[in-house]
Amino acid sequence: MNCELAHERIVLVAYGELPDEQVHELDRHLAACTDCSQEREQLLALKTLTTAYPINELDPNFVARSRMRLEEALDAIPPKRWYERVGQRILNNFASLQAAPAAAVLLLIVGGGAGTLGGYEYAAARSAHSAAGLAAVAQAKAEASAAESVQQSGPAEIANISSIEREPNSEIVHVTYNQVVPQHIQGSLDDPSIRQLLMLASENASSAGVRDDSVGLLAAECRAGHGCQGAGIRDALMQALRYDKSVAVRQKALEGLQPYVAEDMRVRDAVLEALLSDSDARIRTAAIALLEPVEGDTSVRQVLSTVANSDHNLHIRTVSRQVLSRAPEIQ
Amino acid sequence: MDGPDRAQERLQARAPEMELIREAQAGSRAAFDALVRQYEQQVLRLALHLTGSEHDAEDIYQEAFLKAFRYIGNFRFECSFYTWIYRIVTNLCLDQLRRKKTRREDQAVVVDQSGDEIDVLGSVSDGRSFSNPGKELDRKVLGERIQAALSKLTPRERMVFELKHYQGLRLRTIGEMLNTTEETAKNTLFRATKKLRTQLAGLR
Repeated sequence: MNCELAHERIVLVAYGELPDEQVHELDRHLAACTDCSQEREQLLALKTLTTAYPINELDPNFVARSRMRLEEALDAIPPKRWYERVGQRILNNFASLQAAPAAAVLLLIVGGGAGTLGGYEYAAARSAHSAAGLAAVAQAKAEASAAESVQQSGPAEIANISSIEREPNSEIVHVTYNQVVPQHIQGSLDDPSIRQLLMLASENASSAGVRDDSVGLLAAECRAGHGCQGAGIRDALMQALRYDKSVAVRQKALEGLQPYVAEDMRVRDAVLEALLSDSDARIRTAAIALLEPVEGDTSVRQVLSTVANSDHNLHIRTVSRQVLSRAPEIQ
Repeated sequence: MDGPDRAQERLQARAPEMELIREAQAGSRAAFDALVRQYEQQVLRLALHLTGSEHDAEDIYQEAFLKAFRYIGNFRFECSFYTWIYRIVTNLCLDQLRRKKTRREDQAVVVDQSGDEIDVLGSVSDGRSFSNPGKELDRKVLGERIQAALSKLTPRERMVFELKHYQGLRLRTIGEMLNTTEETAKNTLFRATKKLRTQLAGLR
């Protein structure tokens, strides 16, 4: 502790204003510092000296005189009227709100903010609702018709769904789908459109039964000689013979091609092909039978000799040899 | 431990006073008179000791209570009525001390309780005449010398010294009354004691 601080504390301790812990600290300093010790003595002397100017007991007359004068002055003041008192009370209440302006402003801001936000939200919701309503009306009409058509046509007739897109932030979804509308037609086997459908069915129908029916009908027509001169039906039958997975279909196609083996080189090639490579022995056997009228053909003989030597089916090899042996003179 | 109990006691003791204040605020002259009687002795004593003049003290007393009567409606119980009334009185006393100081600087005289003028500056500067107070001055004269020394302080120093040394108030309360901090009141007291010691050095 330095002496300057000690001087301050000497005054404070003399007037009982120094905390206890600092009193102890000051005592230690004073014990060691002569100057500060003298400073304390001087202050204590001052305290003693100043008692020479004491606060005397008041003269009762002086008090009474003062009071009388005050009462006279107070009496001269007109009593406050009721509205002055009410005004004062209002003023006091208002003054008591002095600490509240910040809170009042805050409340105002919060209230205003909440109101604005609420109004904005309400307006936004309303506009969105009305806009959505208009859009919904238009879309609903379109969708209603679409849905109607979907419902009318039935869900089974939707071929596939090509795309699905959802509009952002809405419930609206765009679905693009393909629809197959079934059609029915009836007519004569000689009707070109019927024949066209039969040829299509022979190539593309997913059901083996449909292909079988179509190929069977076309083959029967060819065998019956009903307008099977065009390349269309023969091509369809040759296509079926070469590529159809169903043995029955290939069998019927082969039967249908029978009338044209002798005259049509392409039919003959198709039958030879079947003889060489068809997986089913019955088809190969039937093909040999079909080739009998043209067994003298070089290509036929080559195929027959190949089959007679290499076909893994003994019966087919035997039949092939028999056919070859029956027509040596042609060769 | 006795802190809350003491606070409770103070509150209970203050309850009738608060009731009086409320009644006075409502316009009751009788309630206000009761408050005046409660504080008039302290107010007069302070004013008299500060100014050293019964006339000035009476003026201060009158003006203080008239102000209190006029503005009691503004009292909001944020401090004690004692602090509030003392604030009014000390402000009036400070004004009086300032006026007196200006006048003294012009005249270099003060008026004692009996109305006699004393040439304070001349007597204080003449240390030789006070070098042996036991022999040369009786207690009355010593009191006058001290009063003269006190009058050398600034009004604020005089006020802080008065409230601390003679009235025995806490520095914190003094700070409240003078609208300042406890620290400022402490520093003011320190300056006042220093000046007084210098002024009264020859009297020891």
